[in-house]
Amino acid sequence: MPATTQRPAGKKVLLMATCLCDAFYDDVARATVEVLQHLGVEVGFPENQTCCGQPAFNSGDWKSSRKVARHTAEVFAGDLPVIVPSGSCAAMHFHGNRLQFEECPDGAVESLANRTWELIDFIVNGLGIREWPGRFEKPTRLAFHRSCHLRGTGSGEAITSLLSTIANAEVVPFGQAEQCCGFGGTFSVTFPHISGRMGSLKLDHILEQHPDLLVSGDMSCLMHLTGLAQVQGRPVPHKHAVQVLRDTLQA
Amino acid sequence: MSRDSILSKIRSALADVETKAEHPGFEDAAVVSRVRLGDGSPIAAFTRNFEAVHGRVMRHADPLVALLKEQGRTFGYCDPELMNPLGHALTAAGCTVETRYDRTRYDDYEFGITRATAAIAETGSLVLDDARTSDRLAALSPWIHVAVLREEEVHATLPEAIAGLGNSRNIIWVTGPSKTADVEGILIEGVHGPGEQIAFFLD
Amino acid sequence: MVNRQPIDAYAHDIDEEKQSSVSGGSAASTDKRYSALFSDYEDPNALRRLASRIKDHTLHHLDDYLEQAESSLKRNGCHVHFADTDDDARDAVLSILREREITRLTKSKSMASEEIHLNDHLIKNDIEVLESDLGEFIIQLDGDVPSHIVRPIIHKNRREIARTFQREGIADDYNDDPEAITRRARVHLREKYMEAEAVITGGNFISAESGRVVLVTNEGNSRFGMAPSRVHIALVGIEKLVPTDRDLAVFLNLLGRSATGQQLTVYTEFISGPKDDSQPSGPEEMHVVLMNNGRTDVLASNCREILRCIRCSACQNVCPVYRQASGHAYRSPYGGPVGAVLSPILFGDRFPELADLPKASSLCGACNEVCPVDIPLPDLLLRLRDKAKREHIPQPGDLPMAPFATLATSPAIWRTAMTMSKAMNHLPIEMAPVRPLQDWLGQRTLPEWRGGDFRKWLKKRQSD
Repeated sequence: MPATTQRPAGKKVLLMATCLCDAFYDDVARATVEVLQHLGVEVGFPENQTCCGQPAFNSGDWKSSRKVARHTAEVFAGDLPVIVPSGSCAAMHFHGNRLQFEECPDGAVESLANRTWELIDFIVNGLGIREWPGRFEKPTRLAFHRSCHLRGTGSGEAITSLLSTIANAEVVPFGQAEQCCGFGGTFSVTFPHISGRMGSLKLDHILEQHPDLLVSGDMSCLMHLTGLAQVQGRPVPHKHAVQVLRDTLQA
Repeated sequence: MSRDSILSKIRSALADVETKAEHPGFEDAAVVSRVRLGDGSPIAAFTRNFEAVHGRVMRHADPLVALLKEQGRTFGYCDPELMNPLGHALTAAGCTVETRYDRTRYDDYEFGITRATAAIAETGSLVLDDARTSDRLAALSPWIHVAVLREEEVHATLPEAIAGLGNSRNIIWVTGPSKTADVEGILIEGVHGPGEQIAFFLD
Repeated sequence: MVNRQPIDAYAHDIDEEKQSSVSGGSAASTDKRYSALFSDYEDPNALRRLASRIKDHTLHHLDDYLEQAESSLKRNGCHVHFADTDDDARDAVLSILREREITRLTKSKSMASEEIHLNDHLIKNDIEVLESDLGEFIIQLDGDVPSHIVRPIIHKNRREIARTFQREGIADDYNDDPEAITRRARVHLREKYMEAEAVITGGNFISAESGRVVLVTNEGNSRFGMAPSRVHIALVGIEKLVPTDRDLAVFLNLLGRSATGQQLTVYTEFISGPKDDSQPSGPEEMHVVLMNNGRTDVLASNCREILRCIRCSACQNVCPVYRQASGHAYRSPYGGPVGAVLSPILFGDRFPELADLPKASSLCGACNEVCPVDIPLPDLLLRLRDKAKREHIPQPGDLPMAPFATLATSPAIWRTAMTMSKAMNHLPIEMAPVRPLQDWLGQRTLPEWRGGDFRKWLKKRQSD
């Protein structure tokens, strides 16, 4: 997945909170604002934002997803960087949209693609923050699930390296890390068996390492994995990477 | 009819391609594995890579005789032109060596000695070609195949070996013994071809 | 279960032993690929990109290269046959055999021949065909179909194979040691090779420049099949061309490593025509059947990148859906991501029936990451989903997305829905048929609905 070329950075940004944070994970969006503000970044939040349109896009209903993408591009018009606390939604902006607008190019959508950053990629590669002055109270094993939409982008490396600089944090490797957790949006609905098996396998590999915390840059993966883990009677503590950044600062 | 139909379908399929991709071109170095080549001589690299795929490298008749005796495989074929460094030595050591490959006895030959044209250091491969191989079957049906070549015939890299393919009608690169992992992924050597592949360097 | 996709249903019902053979085998191949490429090359991805550009160049000039290949092959003394359709290809092979009164042949593994069910056709016409690749041989004995591009019997274990050998009289007794199985096949097959009058192979590459047909095998079966045969027929898809011999260096380095983690497949054979007179063993005649069978439809589609494929199976091995479902779930010779893209367009008249295949992916992208010719498989899967939607081909369990799009482009309603939907009651439930959502919730808990809470918090923070 080609990451975008020269994306604008700078201390003034727009936040796309994502529909999942809007609906379930308000604290992830809060942590995003808190961490960015802590770094001296001015965060704007366009009220009319909704969703990146990925559910329709992945379902093949591109007429619907293009409609949502155009709306989002309009809401985030301008020249400011757009920061998304989700590798998946960010990739929708800079990759999925390009695919579905191949035959009907749209300037606003292309502009959005060129300005979108996954959050931690922005912090590390946009703002140049290479070390995080946070601290866990005691040695903490972090299992970092690199979500699939981070493939080929700078985010996976950015998250791993930044988490590793937190005092008392150890990012532990686990088996078959390249494998998908099985969420895949509507895939988890239409392929319930395979999705569930994939999630269980991912959990097996992660839990084998006895992590204190499961971390990801995508709440969708975590929603699926921890939801499965809960039902399977092996709940696992989890956080979005940005929550880890904020919480270790406070500690 | 099919020919014209295919060509015209290709042309119409490509009608919408505005910019046809250029051949990117590449340097040999772009495709060569420096790691496999190592810092030593091509012979050293060949030996390392060939042994890694369970090939054996020999330079004298003695270890070959020892291997044949140890495995109890003492009846075989030898390219008549190779009788003089190698075949006679085996005969002298008590092996039975024939210089005419009799196809009806394909399963009786326990070893076959034929000429290799070259080898590839980078990949640990032997190069056999029709022009030099006295009989393809002799290099294939026996359990042990001994490919005979000279050190100066070893190509360093795979691109060099391609450049040196020549005009022979049939050329085969052999990278170790015949093998399969079809059954449960377990490696078994000697499926249809040789179970022992030997590279024999002449002085 | 209602609304379940066929591949998910297949995975649900699959025999547990079979599934674990498939997933174990493919995971091991994935690991081998990774260590082979990354220990041998500093930047294997650069090599993958180079290969993809050479293939794109070739495909964009396929008409020229096909003509060039034709004349090179002829110069080498090969008979060249063009086959536009599957019928043409079967007829071409059969008439070559009939004209020479050949009734017994061996065959080395060829995906192209699987595509056109060549064996069935020849057998129906009283020609004895014996598959000589160990895996394909076992498939033939069982009347089964291959479930993997490189390892056709990845779905079988040694016990099944040993029973087959006993049943079919390949061996007198039951022995499930893989070495014993291999030895028994060796003895049985070499006798058949020697009796055969012709050999059919595929072709991994054809160099347009030199007309060399390149064949790779690990077992040496194509070599053995060819040595005693009078006639060699190579059935090759028209997309298998590469411009020059030199280009082969790129593809050969990638093929073995991507398929099985080998730097090169054991036997890499460069064939330019029938044998020399000085060579006692080998075919006196060589025929090359250049087969289209839908490839030009693929070339005309917006998924033409799939024609770069060199059939290494790396995408299959890494694919989590393939690992759960096995190749048979894909209902064509090509399983896994490559099959999910290729089959619906290569067998275009079956598109409605195969339109579910592109849905069988979480779009995780692992396939693209391992592809030696860098095929953007997830993008192609998505384009085919779009195609299915545009052609109004209904899919089991499809969620209606138009209402979602309306909601997601009506910010005021969106915000209201967010806050009003605490406890999920008013979550755009019309988005999802009830049953799949229930299934989803049966396996997982959902986090608490906190719609609108972030917006409220942010407003407060901004006003403070």
